[in-house]
Amino acid sequence: MAKEVSGIIKLQIKGGAANPSPPVGPALGAKGVNIMEFCKQFNARTQDKGGKLIPVIITVYKDKSFDFILKTPPVAVQLLEATKLPKGSPEPNRNKVAAVSWDQVKKIAEDKMPDLNAFTLESAMRMVAGTARSMGITVTGDGPFKR
Amino acid sequence: MEYIEVNINGLSGEDAEILTAGMSELGFESFLEETAGIFSAYIPIDFFDVRKVSDFLDEQAMNLGFSYKIGNIPEQNWNAAWESAYQPVKIGKCFIRAPFHEPDPAAGIDLVIEPKMSFGTAHHETTHLMIKALLQIRFEGSSVLDIGTGTGILGIIALKLGAKHVVAIDNDEWSFLNAKENAARNNVPGMIVIKGSAADIPSGKFGYILANINRNVLLHDIPVYHNSLENGGSLILSGFYEDDLDVIREMVTAMGMMQDRVETLNHWVAVTFKKC
Repeated sequence: MAKEVSGIIKLQIKGGAANPSPPVGPALGAKGVNIMEFCKQFNARTQDKGGKLIPVIITVYKDKSFDFILKTPPVAVQLLEATKLPKGSPEPNRNKVAAVSWDQVKKIAEDKMPDLNAFTLESAMRMVAGTARSMGITVTGDGPFKR
Repeated sequence: MEYIEVNINGLSGEDAEILTAGMSELGFESFLEETAGIFSAYIPIDFFDVRKVSDFLDEQAMNLGFSYKIGNIPEQNWNAAWESAYQPVKIGKCFIRAPFHEPDPAAGIDLVIEPKMSFGTAHHETTHLMIKALLQIRFEGSSVLDIGTGTGILGIIALKLGAKHVVAIDNDEWSFLNAKENAARNNVPGMIVIKGSAADIPSGKFGYILANINRNVLLHDIPVYHNSLENGGSLILSGFYEDDLDVIREMVTAMGMMQDRVETLNHWVAVTFKKC
């Protein structure tokens, strides 16, 4: 028989960095879950995405056990990251206008495909480019789509 | 540590995602989605710049149309509900229980752990595997390092099994205090607890080094452990999944150590290496 669910908790936590502080502590602790166990599991499963914001959906059961699924980092977070000049750039402050290339949009779209409501890579790329526009980020170069 | 909570009301979908990304750039480290249109953002008070955050939110609120509220969350033991009702655990001759449980007269080692938001109650696979490994060892007269000690459980068991003294280290304030409390509670005077990391390991050599942490910290600190281990001593590692065993083994064996025993439970691993 399926276990009875007592609640669903939606969080975004940095990969490899869950700790019992808020919001993890109060959200899970109030449901009687062993927070330390959640942190150990979450950190072991996200250790390759250290520092990146990872959406996680936690299902808590009546018996105080839990399981969780991880999503890919939000498009907006990935776009902001992509606009940063690589460390060691000779003139890091020269170009202040935020811009990403279509290659970067494609990379984010590929990463987000499993979570986006998109059937093709092209439509996923359009969604990512749309978010970029809403953020005031320019997509540079020629798009892969016919005008 | 005390935290700042910012509640955002009236924002969802892509707009919420964009605001989240912006707040993350300002140092907010985690977010909770309460219900549709309402979410909260969290930052340790030490990293909170009230003017910078208010300026950012006021500007965004004007463009996107939401309201926000800033509040403080004082530090407290968030794990108290679970800790007040946890079940005792039996591993071999060890009986691990809370102060509110009756001891098991048949158990060889009675261990009382009150965790206070620290890791190490024997419920997790890694602690379970580490305790099983410790029960195979003859600790008589040895000196032991327990790094990432949490509740202090592994160091306390080593002392109960005959170790002469244990240095237990943790970088978390709650764990540092909790390991000291649990050592006193279990009458093991040979335990020295230090707040710190691998850089704070005292000089001198240990016969056994116990580290149940995580893959990244272990990979970073294995050279330090190797340096602090006697010839003939054992390094016992856990806190990672089977998938990560190869990379850990590669690093340890490259230093000339030999894998001794390895055990897994639900894909978690504990592995022992010997320094020749």
